[in-house]
Amino acid sequence: MTLTRTDSGGEASLAPRVRVPAIRGRTLIAASAVIAALLAAIPLAYLVVRVAEADRSAVVDAMWRPRTLELLLNTSGLVLSVSATCLVIGVATAWVLTRTDLRGRGVWLVVSTLPLAIPSYVAAFGWIATTPLRGFWGAWLVLTFCNIPLVTLPTIAALRQAHPGAEDVARTMGRGPLAAFMAATWPQIRPAAIAGTLLVALYVLSDFGAVALMRFQAFTWAIHTAYGALFDRTLAAVLSVVLALMGILLVMLERRARGARAKLGSAVQARTPAVLVRLRRRSWLAHAGLAAVASLSLGVPLAALGRFLTGRAESAFTVSAGDLAADVWNTVAFAGGGALIALALAMPIGILSARHRSRLSEATESASYLGLALPGIVVGLALVFFSLTVVPSLYQSAIILAFAYGVLFLPKAVGAVRSSIEQVEPGLEEVARTLGSSPADVWRRVTVRMAWPGIGAGVLLVALTAMKELPATLLLRPTGVDTLATSLWRYTEASAYGAAAPYAAMLIVVAAVPAILLTREATGGAHRGPQEHPGRVSP
Amino acid sequence: MLSLRSAAFAAAAAAILATPACSTPAVSPAGSPAAPSTAPASDGVFTLYAGRGEDLIAPLIADFEATTGIEVEVRYAGSTELSALLLEEGSATPADVFLSQDAGALGAVSKTGAFAPLPAGITDLVPAGFTSADGSWVGVTGRARVIVYDGDQLQADDVPESVRGLTDPQWKGRVGIAPTNASFQSFVTAMRLLEGEDATREWLEGMVANDVKIYGKNSAILDAANTGEIQLGLINHYYWYQLSNEVGIDNMRAQLSFPAAGDPGSIVNVTGAGLLAGAARDADALAFIEYLVSIDGQRYFVENTYEYPLVSGVNAPAGLPPLADLTNAKLDLGDLDSLAETTALLAEVGLL
Amino acid sequence: MNELQIRKIVAGYDGAPVLSGVSFNVSHGELAAVLGPSGSGKSTLLRVIAGLVRPLEGAVVLDGHVLSGPRVNVAPEKRSVALVPQDAALFPHLDVLANASFGLPRAERGGARARDLLEMVGMSDLAHRMPGELSGGERHRVALARALATDPQVVLLDEPFSALDAALRIELRAQVKRVLCNAGVTALLVTHDQEEALSMADVVAVVDGGRLVQVGTPVQIYASPSSRWLAKFVGGAMVIPGIWRRGIVAGPLGTVPARLADGELALDGDSVDLVVRPEQLQVSKLSQNSTSGVVAMVREVSYFGHDSVVVLDVPGWAEPIEARVIGDHRWERDTEVHVNVMSEAIAFAASP
Repeated sequence: MTLTRTDSGGEASLAPRVRVPAIRGRTLIAASAVIAALLAAIPLAYLVVRVAEADRSAVVDAMWRPRTLELLLNTSGLVLSVSATCLVIGVATAWVLTRTDLRGRGVWLVVSTLPLAIPSYVAAFGWIATTPLRGFWGAWLVLTFCNIPLVTLPTIAALRQAHPGAEDVARTMGRGPLAAFMAATWPQIRPAAIAGTLLVALYVLSDFGAVALMRFQAFTWAIHTAYGALFDRTLAAVLSVVLALMGILLVMLERRARGARAKLGSAVQARTPAVLVRLRRRSWLAHAGLAAVASLSLGVPLAALGRFLTGRAESAFTVSAGDLAADVWNTVAFAGGGALIALALAMPIGILSARHRSRLSEATESASYLGLALPGIVVGLALVFFSLTVVPSLYQSAIILAFAYGVLFLPKAVGAVRSSIEQVEPGLEEVARTLGSSPADVWRRVTVRMAWPGIGAGVLLVALTAMKELPATLLLRPTGVDTLATSLWRYTEASAYGAAAPYAAMLIVVAAVPAILLTREATGGAHRGPQEHPGRVSP
Repeated sequence: MLSLRSAAFAAAAAAILATPACSTPAVSPAGSPAAPSTAPASDGVFTLYAGRGEDLIAPLIADFEATTGIEVEVRYAGSTELSALLLEEGSATPADVFLSQDAGALGAVSKTGAFAPLPAGITDLVPAGFTSADGSWVGVTGRARVIVYDGDQLQADDVPESVRGLTDPQWKGRVGIAPTNASFQSFVTAMRLLEGEDATREWLEGMVANDVKIYGKNSAILDAANTGEIQLGLINHYYWYQLSNEVGIDNMRAQLSFPAAGDPGSIVNVTGAGLLAGAARDADALAFIEYLVSIDGQRYFVENTYEYPLVSGVNAPAGLPPLADLTNAKLDLGDLDSLAETTALLAEVGLL
Repeated sequence: MNELQIRKIVAGYDGAPVLSGVSFNVSHGELAAVLGPSGSGKSTLLRVIAGLVRPLEGAVVLDGHVLSGPRVNVAPEKRSVALVPQDAALFPHLDVLANASFGLPRAERGGARARDLLEMVGMSDLAHRMPGELSGGERHRVALARALATDPQVVLLDEPFSALDAALRIELRAQVKRVLCNAGVTALLVTHDQEEALSMADVVAVVDGGRLVQVGTPVQIYASPSSRWLAKFVGGAMVIPGIWRRGIVAGPLGTVPARLADGELALDGDSVDLVVRPEQLQVSKLSQNSTSGVVAMVREVSYFGHDSVVVLDVPGWAEPIEARVIGDHRWERDTEVHVNVMSEAIAFAASP
């Protein structure tokens, strides 16, 4: 401390700028976030470079073809319908699993989360093998029931934090149960549910495998046609820019719909835990509903897989356990690496959005969502271009592939980082400062400590999704190295479905591990949410 | 639980660092961007980008490695992805040879000048019409266009002899095609050359009006015919043989019918291989391409994939019409300009 | 020594000042209360002293060292100033003992000092409970122990008892005062509850709208308020006009002995505002021998157990008069009673 002689006269009021000491180091975070956003925007930079090479008139021609517009409408319709369905079913499932006394809730939670472990192309294949359903409704079905957990899990976490009292008040004011829910509880869980729905919408934008199998011509079809039939990378780039713009539009819509951040109140409050709704006779209805969703999302694909595993005749391609094990190792290693890179990129962006809301934080957050909106082949080629231009020695190495996963699935980590840190009250950080902790100490001992479970969930989600990724993996993996997804692809390309089945099964088993960990995340967390026992009243 | 996860992440991080050591990228002479190769003639290894199924090609490569002692680093992916990859990599590509499933991909790569011209000793082996016009790539095998039909619902005589018959109203909603597939596009190009633009347009519009079903791949059409989802489809012959190998020929519901000789529907598509410019003096790479068009190599394809050999001295698989009957003489399969017109036409009628 | 000086602090957010020049001093070991209505800037003042907000102008000086000033801003963790926030803000992931030890060096965490402090606040039995399992009062006590553990020179308490019920509040106030006294630490308490400020503090600073209204001992604030507003805010008062004549004010309440507030000047015959507190009014049965006082009509009676508030209408004054009376007598509505002022009131010169 400086020893300054104080005089009783007036202070020299130089009126310095108001700099709050609590956010020193903000420039460091902002700089890191900008770097992370630039890295995440590599695909966009690639597209811009390609588009700049385009022959203006030819491209405009291609863009305004009736077919292109038809495909655009197809994709828009699919995005809206899948998102809406996922939102409704996801919130309903979350409510049943959190606010009712349904028996076997824990089991149902795991069952409801497992569809995340099934790649959409495997699920689509299962449906094709089972029913004649195709086209729009087939794509809608597959994409919806694969992605509902993306809404269910964050909604469950939000419900555990929400104040149940407001709903009771609404009931006493004469609203029925559903109206009370919409008026009192929905605004509190809306941000989480909408954030999950955004991930679903972006995924539908970029999916190619499931829609191709279902023979539904979506916009990604046009991009793949540009690559495969027309060998025109510029056209593909222009079309990809359209997808990127749609993605940005969705991100902006979500930001608007998210509304003001829900103030969740003090980190610790004497809050009465929510009274669980007694279902009694209507519990069979809940069981039936959950079972219906589970059979559509898990039952059909797994049954088809089982049929292939047992029924198909021995093919010339035998599955070696050694190959399978090697693929498992590669899958887990690449996905894990991708998750770590996503975490590194997501931390500054998420922190900036959570603590220092500004135009910059919104821009970096939007940039991070681009990877998810673009098809895997585009991100893969973008990274080929980037790698060869900037770091040729890393080309076709494990690091570039992990980096691709990080960029592709960054939004899942950013959302988790942002919401976990948002939930840490700034008041706690301030108290810690007055108790003598430096800003870095506060981060370590308070903020990150408390936010870690939520951040961990985001990392798990990235790893889980990376395990299932195919097109970028095909392009970027080290030559001669296979993951479960690429081996699966190789056999299905050869129509050797019998040989493909064990790889599909193994992929689902491996991906189920992080999925189950995620359910423990959603229900666990002893330091968040109301306690199960009543608070003591004596002083 | 926290420690378990930390341990898992530590393991993953360790694996990530270890994996590059386990699978080193190909020791290839064209590792650095835009460097003209001054590699020694033979270093015992080369890199192959194979756009064909791994389980079909792997034994062939094994044979080659056993015979010559040259090591092959293979990168498997779809022809679409590989051609996009090669175009993106440009001269910095680590690949030495590109083995492709369709001539269009080879033509696209060739157009950018990425291929080195092949020696006449190789290109002369394959007759014109089944290989590149400028010697930048060589055809390796041929696949005939066929009509696949649902054997349960149709008899062999019910199937039209010409593709022109597919626009008949009785087939409304029962026919499948894959307009994004290169083989289909080659067939349409052939039709344009043989029948003229107007007739081709008319036929395509007739197909659209007949509610033709669109699939992404030939194998999808085959599966659809095998389950009765469609009754007729246009695919390449070799898929049928592949599938019958997997499930047994007696279990095949779908059956093949070859269009009449001279019909535009009876053209042959070729698979082929090209030598990347950076490997122009790589003797190993060249040796592989030679192997592909050698008697041994061609016989491998005949026996294992039921594709047509393109080199004289090897017999075609039994049961297939002879190559000479199939129409290809006027067609340059790698001609991308013609292909561009075809795709424009398909786009016009709304199939692409 | 250890004197805390607040010097002409101007502070605010986004350009709008919340504090406009507040100055007062707190001597070592004193408990000072900053009293004011909501929005008066009290919490901002606390945050400035803690170093969480930088003042636009002015300085905070502790023990001769400048903590906040024009060229100086000492980081919060380097000031010896501890904060007990409004909601206790215990770290939910740490138990009681770990919370209390938070500010201590790692080696001392969970050691004797923390335990002693928990003992001092009566929480040593619950040392291993988690914050979620504690009641509100318990949490505040742990927060106080946590603040004292770092041996600060100043402890800041932000409306510490506002979330608790009445009985608990009173008990906790006494405990906290005792703990702070024993610790010999300078404390600054921010509150909107006048009872709290008057009963706990050695010196009270009243702020309103970002400005300091008056600072003094509780008796000074209560008995000698420097403005009408302050009289009404602390303790409640009625402001009634009258005419000043040598120590007596004549008005709707009859003749009332009064003294002029500090700094006020009035000549005989001037209009003044008389400030009367409810407990100064005596209500008695209507009788003939009344020298001072007037007749009034009872409008309402509120019974509080230990006293009653009687609302009266006085002729000549439109607003109701409140009298706080003790005793068992039950006054009836719409009856006439006699009311007079028992003790000396305060007069302010009326604005011209």
